[in-house]
Amino acid sequence: MSTRLARILTTIFVLAVVLLPIYWLVSTSLKSNREITQEGTLYPHVPTLDNYVRLFTEKQFGSYLTNSLVVTFFSVAIALAVGAMGAYAIARFRLPFAAERKVGLFLLTLRIIPPVVILIPVYLLMLSLGLLDSWLGLIATYTAFNVTFCVWMMESFFREIPVDLEEAAMVDGDSRFGAFRRITLPLAAPGLAATAIFAVLVTFNEFLFALALTATPRAMTMPRGTATLIGRIDTDWASMSAAGVIGALPIVFFALLVQRHLVRGLTMGAVK
Amino acid sequence: MSSVLYKNVVKNFGALNVLRSLDLAVPDHKFLALLGPSGCGKTTALRILAGLDMPTSGKVFIGERDVTRLQPRDRDIAMVFQSYALYPQMTVAENIGYPLWIRGTPDAERKTKIGEVAAILEIGHLLDRRPRQLSGGQRQRVALARAIVRDPAAFLMDEPLSNLDARLRLTMRGEIKRLCQRLSATTIYVTHDQVEALTMADLVAVMHGGELQQMAPPIDIYDRPANRFVATFVGNPPMNILPVALSEQGVMAGGKIVVLERTRLTACRLAEIVEIGLRPEDCSVAPSDAPGALPGEIYVVEPMGNETLVNVRLDGGNVSVRAGRDFRGVVGESIGVAFDPANACFFNSAGLTAVHRVNNNGRVT
Repeated sequence: MSTRLARILTTIFVLAVVLLPIYWLVSTSLKSNREITQEGTLYPHVPTLDNYVRLFTEKQFGSYLTNSLVVTFFSVAIALAVGAMGAYAIARFRLPFAAERKVGLFLLTLRIIPPVVILIPVYLLMLSLGLLDSWLGLIATYTAFNVTFCVWMMESFFREIPVDLEEAAMVDGDSRFGAFRRITLPLAAPGLAATAIFAVLVTFNEFLFALALTATPRAMTMPRGTATLIGRIDTDWASMSAAGVIGALPIVFFALLVQRHLVRGLTMGAVK
Repeated sequence: MSSVLYKNVVKNFGALNVLRSLDLAVPDHKFLALLGPSGCGKTTALRILAGLDMPTSGKVFIGERDVTRLQPRDRDIAMVFQSYALYPQMTVAENIGYPLWIRGTPDAERKTKIGEVAAILEIGHLLDRRPRQLSGGQRQRVALARAIVRDPAAFLMDEPLSNLDARLRLTMRGEIKRLCQRLSATTIYVTHDQVEALTMADLVAVMHGGELQQMAPPIDIYDRPANRFVATFVGNPPMNILPVALSEQGVMAGGKIVVLERTRLTACRLAEIVEIGLRPEDCSVAPSDAPGALPGEIYVVEPMGNETLVNVRLDGGNVSVRAGRDFRGVVGESIGVAFDPANACFFNSAGLTAVHRVNNNGRVT
């Protein structure tokens, strides 16, 4: 009996830790600034959607959201396409002195460098290319980051797929690229989904480079746009909460979409 | 269908020499078994023919065409893999139809073809299933169906039965043989199982250490092995080998003089033979003092049901003898091993068969 009680209490505790911040975010987004700062209520006494309306009318959150979605979509899509081919090459082809392994390790070390180290060089690069405060500048930067990550993560997924299948396809009449596209890639879909969700998360939430490379609503992303709500004198907590909810929605939606693949992707190879 | 030719094919993996100058010709419509222990280069030879590995040097021909540098898809071959390599995301019908689909065969024709081969292999009721819903034997049939759905120049099979259990292997062995005879297809079949090679093939090529040891019809591989390796690799239990010394009337083996017929003795002398080879079924048990029998003692007795394998320790080594099912002997008992010297073959110091057994028409070589 006591173990059962302990189990229930543990579950409640874990759920509270996970769900309370989300509840607080959503409930705060439905309160007025007065209710937040002066009354400190536990739930919205006078629920209002004014905060959301204000984001899209007075502030420029329509642009921020569009920018975020466009930049995330293209940088992840390009990184997945390039990364999948790179990962496949590293997983399948043997070079003299096992050079392919060293390439894989080298790509991983690029991820280890703290992003802030290359912030200034990237800024200067974008300045000279005239890509500051543009979608293209952000997409290029994020793609470069994501490719290394995609290659590294997907290589193991490709290794799991028996090489016999591609060889059979090639004997059956396929080219190597055709065998990759028609046989291997569909089998790597769970891995692709798992990689995609991590890349989407990192890209959609990225703040540092968005801060340095964008300056106007033309290219500002959600995290960067949300930061504009922090003023010198006061902070618009109600709007920030609403922005938080809106910023989280695309990720939640995407996660639900690939959830089935994600679970398979994360456990792939764990059991035969 | 086409003939297949390997010309001086060499394959190195780094410093490892897997194939040393392989020369092999498979005539049109013949079923060739590539037989050898693991690591002998037989699978590498097959993969080079399929275009999945490139030879370090040498050429490969299918029919008149030099295919050495061609992509697998341009070689007009079909292959059955050891793992079956069925595409997991496709149904059985899609798997079988894949070689046709990829070549742009019209839907209607493809469907008819799939139906035909599915009927031949008795898997018509499985067409909508996925590979993971099939048993090992059914997967094997689907893999075969995918190979025969086209009419390729040659069939390549890489140990296709090795993942099946013993009973199923026996059934499929017969089925593949029937299928290949029916299609009259040039087939290269890689196996390490000598029973498969001997029972199924028109020709057996025995490989060892990256070199072709002998290529001949199964009965010749068994009766007239080219060297000591083939003699001891083929046959279960393998051929008995005993050291011999030449003497006046014959050879000295197992502590006794084995009298040889004149021409054979001369041949043995000229070749400076050092060993005698005897198949277990050419030997019989006899009283230890019987004339001509080599004396020894029983080392192991293995009743097999239909026969009894008796291992006898002689002076110079042990020999296996196939005895009748009613043989009763006790380990350590004195016994003799009798044989007709005409059935023996002799090896020289290089391990080559210098003098073969006298074959059925009495010809001596």
